[in-house]
Amino acid sequence: MKNPYEVLGVAATASAADIQNAYRKLAKKLHPDLNPGDKTAEEKFKEVAGAYDLLGDAEKRKRFDAGELDPSGAERQQHHYYRDFATADGGHPYADASGYADFMDSDDAFAELLRRSERARANRRGSDLHYSLAIDFAESITGANKRLTLPDGGTLDVSIPPGLVDGQILRLRGKGAPGTGKGVPGDALIQVEVRPDPRFTRLGDDIMFELPISLSEAVLGGRVRVPTPTGAVTMTVPDGSNTGTTMRLKGKGAPRHGGGHGDEFVKLKVVLPKGPDPELKEFVSKWNRKAFNPREDGTS
Amino acid sequence: MIMNKQQFLTNAGLQVQTLELWLEYHWLIPDQTSTEMTFSDGDVARAHLIRDLKSNFGVNDEGVDVILHLVDQLHGLRHAFQQLHSDMQEPSR
Repeated sequence: MKNPYEVLGVAATASAADIQNAYRKLAKKLHPDLNPGDKTAEEKFKEVAGAYDLLGDAEKRKRFDAGELDPSGAERQQHHYYRDFATADGGHPYADASGYADFMDSDDAFAELLRRSERARANRRGSDLHYSLAIDFAESITGANKRLTLPDGGTLDVSIPPGLVDGQILRLRGKGAPGTGKGVPGDALIQVEVRPDPRFTRLGDDIMFELPISLSEAVLGGRVRVPTPTGAVTMTVPDGSNTGTTMRLKGKGAPRHGGGHGDEFVKLKVVLPKGPDPELKEFVSKWNRKAFNPREDGTS
Repeated sequence: MIMNKQQFLTNAGLQVQTLELWLEYHWLIPDQTSTEMTFSDGDVARAHLIRDLKSNFGVNDEGVDVILHLVDQLHGLRHAFQQLHSDMQEPSR
């Protein structure tokens, strides 16, 4: 076992910051996933990571310096790197051909070889197919089953999970282009657009809604129907409510990660009747208008 | 191994908020069944790579985006060359 200070290339008196810097510098060069073709990278990286496990922890370093721990005590457990999966037979779901696709467009012998190889590939994983799908706001909250019509006339059934957010990509494994030979089919990657609903605004797991109420409902209170993404519910408006008063409908928001639901917040907006209302005008003119001045608090 | 969200969080050592963010960035794209999202061992390994980049190498989110894109291209390229190599060894096929 090598001395961890030698592995990281630092002095035994190095500060914690120096040790971290030395580790980062080496790890960036040696990380197996950044060196997928270098078989020795993993061993070297493990050595560096093991040294940092020991020296990057103040307590362990102290014990090592005191001779209580030997360098082997810092070895890491067996670890599978991403490259082990990304280079597996049959391709992998994140692989991207954009790094060499232009090679196949050339007329030279290499390009022809590459094209022939691509065509003749015996066990090639099918390519991923990208689609987009638009759903209603309410469907994004409750979830839905949608049928996507494909360019070739086929269809794809898509299950929208409850609580989906705008722009989310759904991966349907095996629903992409077919593979060749023993190659597995690619995946369908569906980017979902949530059509905005002018009534609702989503803030995280909560939903905001503005509810118009009449003057009499504001003054006297009353029971009103309030739309939610899962259907209308009845809510009590307390007497003396005002524009801006916000009420909470518990559990009527989007599904919450880890269980439960967010809430719907209903902001009241007092709306007068459209057009002149002589009766209201007469009533208000008799009302003691000086009793209340909403600008007394200095708002204007 | 196919795992559900909770198993994935445990295996990848991630908080649920972190996962939600990584899904939003499209760094991870799990399978979607009718009831839940499912993850593979490859997704766990990819999460470890992202965590290494962010926590150990000091790479910011924009940098992770670029690195993952390049890593994905690199693996696509390696596949193409692997195939080319194997085809060249079997010229009669």
